[in-house]
Amino acid sequence: MDSSHDSSQPVIAVRQVLKTFAGKREVKALEAVDLAIGAHEFVSILGPSGCGKSTLLRIVAGLTPYQGGEVCVNGRAVMDPSPEIGVVFQSSNMLPWLTVRENMALGARLRKLPESAWAPKLEQLMGMLGLKGFEQHHPHQLSGGMRQRAAIGQILALDPQILLMDEPFGALDALTRDRLNVELLRIWQEQRQTVLLVTHSIAEAVFLSDRVLVMSGRPGRVVQEIAIDLPRPRRPESIKENPRYGEYIAELSSLMGVFKDEH
Amino acid sequence: MRRTLESLIFWGLLAALWEYGVGALGIRRYLLPPLSAVLAAGWEAREMLLSETWVTTTEVLMGFGLAVVGGILFGVLIHLSPLARRTLYPLITALQSMPKIALAPLMIVWFGYGLGSKVAATFLFAFFPVVVATLGGMQNVPINLDEHFHALGASRWDRFWRLQMPSALPAFVDGIKIAMPLAVIGAIVGEFIGAEEGLGHLMTLATANAQTDLMFAAILVITALAVFLYALVERLARAVWWRGISY
Repeated sequence: MDSSHDSSQPVIAVRQVLKTFAGKREVKALEAVDLAIGAHEFVSILGPSGCGKSTLLRIVAGLTPYQGGEVCVNGRAVMDPSPEIGVVFQSSNMLPWLTVRENMALGARLRKLPESAWAPKLEQLMGMLGLKGFEQHHPHQLSGGMRQRAAIGQILALDPQILLMDEPFGALDALTRDRLNVELLRIWQEQRQTVLLVTHSIAEAVFLSDRVLVMSGRPGRVVQEIAIDLPRPRRPESIKENPRYGEYIAELSSLMGVFKDEH
Repeated sequence: MRRTLESLIFWGLLAALWEYGVGALGIRRYLLPPLSAVLAAGWEAREMLLSETWVTTTEVLMGFGLAVVGGILFGVLIHLSPLARRTLYPLITALQSMPKIALAPLMIVWFGYGLGSKVAATFLFAFFPVVVATLGGMQNVPINLDEHFHALGASRWDRFWRLQMPSALPAFVDGIKIAMPLAVIGAIVGEFIGAEEGLGHLMTLATANAQTDLMFAAILVITALAVFLYALVERLARAVWWRGISY
């Protein structure tokens, strides 16, 4: 994407970042957080709710200011949302008055991309995400899972180099969530965006990621990093037979359990 | 089918109660004439009623149209400009609390006995609900959509047209539903105070001549006009169906 980009340099670099929320009592949301994500890497941040993981993602996305440290994307300091990043949120953020197709094209329109750059891709994404035949429907006529697919399609139509996902499947039932995880992985295997995923699902993090960072809350810090050394392409049936899968789940569960007890 | 029958029976009973109740209770005709006398008076004066209705309808629609356009402009201006919010908004709030009827004579002084003063009175009655509703609607953008647009690098213009205006529409539509009947009141009040034509003027004439039956006929016509115009706005408002939907 960026020709000046040096491949040895991380795509996302967060150094000693500090974030406090002002108020009656100042709340330290993040304290001295470090993070480095290389090109085409899939990294998840796992942590209990309120640990600041979503705040960290918003900082990387350029959506919220921070007080100390440094955040760089492709070697440039993050000030504002940048065009190489696409963000998928927990709410699908579909506009109810637009059709599914209009919604999926909205991101590209807002970023003023030429129609020739995204229109063919949009058709392809409709097929990939199982939305063919629903183009002219409105979001309220779709299930929550389909709305989330459309939301992902809206961002993928931008062809972002970096995908930031903030609990994208957090509002869905377990079955739909598993299915969308498989689809997400299939798309990622083809397109190899650099992905930072925030989640509180251990199974989701292990299934998808190259690395899992575990955060603890108040103030938020990265307390553990675990590389997920499982062969790709991964499939939900086969991955569970790998003995290491169980080990990762157990290890992360105990880590998460420890922090839960702190509350 | 059953519902139509129910309402037919209800209105029929109400009409019968009026028609025969008046005689049974011995109410004098100049206080409350029976329904048949009202209808007969209305039929006899049908040409006059029709032309006065046309006059009043014109006043209502012009005043209402101006109120909607002006209400949107002021609502948007106050929303976009902090200066307007600090200066115009308190003024509008103060004017809104003032009884508009007190200003109606002033409208006659300023704009004369003709169409202008009635349009002005109508505007006064209908304007404030539109401003307040527009302003409220503009502040109704869900915070998650706001952030999403920010992440997508939306321009101010796009944010305004593609997010804020559609988000404001449900509240705005509620505002014009309130403004429509108020517009009719405004026109009639204007005609009461000083006019040479219109349904309100007809009513003052009928009162002066002790033609209570004609006065009631005019009231029925005004009511029908108000109901019809409200139904029209209601119909238009149905195009905004996304009230309260958020994902």
